[in-house]
Amino acid sequence: MALWLHELRLFARQRVAAPALLLLLMLGSMSVWNGLSEIAHQRDVIERIQPQQEADISAVADFVTLDGDPGYAAYYTYHATWDDPSDLAFAALGQRDVAPYVLRVNALALEAQIHNNERYNAELALPGKFDWAFVLTYIAPLVLIVLLHDLASSEREAGRLNLLQSLASNTRTFWIRRVTLRYLLALAVIVLPFLFGAAIAGSSIGDSLAVSAMTALYLTFWTAASLLVGRLRWNSAANAGVLAASWFMIVLVLPALAHLGINAAIPVRQGVELTLAQRETVHAGWDKPKPETMAAFGELYQEWRDTPPIEGGFHWKWYYAFQHLGDVSVEDETLAYREGLEARDRWTRRVGYLLPPVALQHALHRRAETDLRAQLTYQDRIRDYHGRLREFYYPFIFNEQEFSRQDFARAPLWSR
Amino acid sequence: MSSLRLVARNEWQLMRRSRVAQIAIALLLVLAGIAAITSIAHRNANDDLRARFQAQANSEFDGQPARHPHRMVHYGHFVFRPLPPLAAFDPGVDAFTGSTIFLEGHRQNSANFGDVRQSSLLARFGQLTPAFVLQALAPLVLIFVGFGLIAREREAGTLRLLTASGASPGAILGGKALALSGVAALMLIPAGLALLWMMAAEGAGAVAAGSLLLGYATYLAVWVAAIAGVSAIASTPRAALIALLAMWAVATVLLPRVAPEAALSVDPLTTKLETDIAIQRELREIGDSHDPDDPHFEEFKTSVLQEYGVDRIEDLPFNYNGLLAMEGETLTSSLFDQYAARETAQEKRHAAIVTSFGVISPTIALNRLSITLAGTGMDGHRRFLEQAEAYRFAIVQQLNQLQAEAVTFADDSTRNSDPVAGRRVRIDPEHWHEVPDFTYRGATTGERLQAAAAPALILLFWLLVAGLFLREARNYVLGAH
Repeated sequence: MALWLHELRLFARQRVAAPALLLLLMLGSMSVWNGLSEIAHQRDVIERIQPQQEADISAVADFVTLDGDPGYAAYYTYHATWDDPSDLAFAALGQRDVAPYVLRVNALALEAQIHNNERYNAELALPGKFDWAFVLTYIAPLVLIVLLHDLASSEREAGRLNLLQSLASNTRTFWIRRVTLRYLLALAVIVLPFLFGAAIAGSSIGDSLAVSAMTALYLTFWTAASLLVGRLRWNSAANAGVLAASWFMIVLVLPALAHLGINAAIPVRQGVELTLAQRETVHAGWDKPKPETMAAFGELYQEWRDTPPIEGGFHWKWYYAFQHLGDVSVEDETLAYREGLEARDRWTRRVGYLLPPVALQHALHRRAETDLRAQLTYQDRIRDYHGRLREFYYPFIFNEQEFSRQDFARAPLWSR
Repeated sequence: MSSLRLVARNEWQLMRRSRVAQIAIALLLVLAGIAAITSIAHRNANDDLRARFQAQANSEFDGQPARHPHRMVHYGHFVFRPLPPLAAFDPGVDAFTGSTIFLEGHRQNSANFGDVRQSSLLARFGQLTPAFVLQALAPLVLIFVGFGLIAREREAGTLRLLTASGASPGAILGGKALALSGVAALMLIPAGLALLWMMAAEGAGAVAAGSLLLGYATYLAVWVAAIAGVSAIASTPRAALIALLAMWAVATVLLPRVAPEAALSVDPLTTKLETDIAIQRELREIGDSHDPDDPHFEEFKTSVLQEYGVDRIEDLPFNYNGLLAMEGETLTSSLFDQYAARETAQEKRHAAIVTSFGVISPTIALNRLSITLAGTGMDGHRRFLEQAEAYRFAIVQQLNQLQAEAVTFADDSTRNSDPVAGRRVRIDPEHWHEVPDFTYRGATTGERLQAAAAPALILLFWLLVAGLFLREARNYVLGAH
């Protein structure tokens, strides 16, 4: 123990060591604070849209109930959906700044609605969020490099190396003690703000432990890299140079190249293609013979197959039928698009086997549920909800039943 | 002066023999080459794809069968944002904004299908582009090559030799900085070639491309001065390296992420959902076209009847429904414009805050200069949104006018009950050809230069500060005093 304390005293006397750790602690705390306030803001938005949404629906009810037309109710009522942030999201904000976490849908074709974007300032989104995951992935390795790049070389340069090694009772334990001390200090400094944030955010013990373990592993990688470079027995400046260059390649350049490669190998232009195609089917619906449309819809919804045939030029049931058929017609494209996105995500995970920063980011954002998959899960929930909405309106529309003010309150609610 | 040149030539030869410098510079040139080639290919592929989609949307619009004009209003149109030629140099926000908007009556849709939402979180690691290579990598390589310029020679004791041969501290520092500038100039070559290619093959403007290169040259000059100065002041080469790496990490990695957070916390965004609700609420306040007794539309009807000297809308020389649709569209569009103007104002406030961070990070200043000159910042995207909205309004009104003039009121009123009227309201599809295609007009060089003035001034400020710093550093060349 005395030896450890002695080692710590020596460490504290170094000129850049303590300031570097302090800087990391400061940035880690700032990022956690920023993440917490961002998540608080998102929760606040979700709360504050509720009364606005209620007022909007009540205003729609005011004119729809003038004649109680269910077609108008389904057309003009937008139902709010939202995606609550997880208790870990504060640490890794992920894609929640560019993907919507609140979205309204009505009972019309969903493909024209579900890809809608949130309003955000792209210039502000471009550099990425300043969250704890960023400080851990980008900054912590740099601090570790500062602490470890001159472990042996500085002693050699000061002419103390041989003396030190001859004085130590066991050279191996001496170096292990030195490295472990630095590693543990860096780990403590980066993990502590996170644990503090996790306590405030109410993250589960399991999440906190998992993230701490990821952090420990990630720092182990950079410690090993520093020691490996140190074994080359170059001078301190050369060590620092090689390590900083490796950092640059591993953290910035190679992930960017991997991104280029993955996006080129798995194109997902189906996104645009399927909206273009969906519009064509939806609008061709106007020109198709009505019995044909109703028969196709009846295949999907047998309970509405035997309603009276449509007379005249327009009936809401026909309108909502071809809206839904438009969605159905692009099911294959939707699936292909989704599979493309999932494949991109899968390959990112595989790139993580080679690039620790990518693995770390992938694992963190998966756990925090702020990644591409979380976006797709939210979309799945919206699809499911949209189905329930349609099925809520269908009896009114197909049975030509009056839509009353009470019925507005009976619509299925988005469940958290 | 001649001793300065001598020092520069010696240093340059030294660098040419240094393995570290060779590897670092070679690495940079290779990456710059890869970045330029992939970036140009990526831009061209994307631009072609969008042009193809645009052509498809145009022909699908023109190919629609005979229809009621109002159905065409809801069939709507898709427009795609083309990529400016210099997007191959700095794609800016392109991946972060949707590239296509669906335009229809009474609604303003978002621009969708931006790359960032279609990519894994790898997209957030940044893109390998010529701009990124020069903004982030080039200063790092300059640091590796130059951190020891003075510090190393002082440590080795060879600096005395130089002074003994008659070189003044100023000449030594200046000469070494000049040699490092040579390396910086070398790094600009791939970017310069890429820009020349964009001018020759893609029609990029020479003035914008030249200003871009000048901006990057200024930025690298700032780094050269900082590196030479720190190397003169630092006590050891290692101290110089650590200090420079810290400066680099703060200026290029940390502050660019902190600045947007500051802008957002001062001036937070509202969600599209809330904006949509607010627009709907205001619309209801102005007038509700569903309500037959609505005062606004009642007044509108009275004034139209008066103007044409008739008592009933049936007696008007055109279809009143079309005119009503035009009035409704004017109301909604004016609201959309008001809200868009508010959003634009907010984005400009954000941009001003971020630009002001350029005073503590030259990388931020350069980044703003770069996306502005390339036409790939929010300015460019906003132009697209504004032009798309103007186009939306124009074609919707053209179709509403067709409803007023080519469809009779009687047919329009009985179209759902009388099959003959229902056929008559489907007007000749030749009319769809009369609707013009969307053409996007990017900012002119003059507009872009004007918008780039603020960041350019900040960069010049940096150059001045760096020059003064270098002057001051002369006093440290020979050691602590």
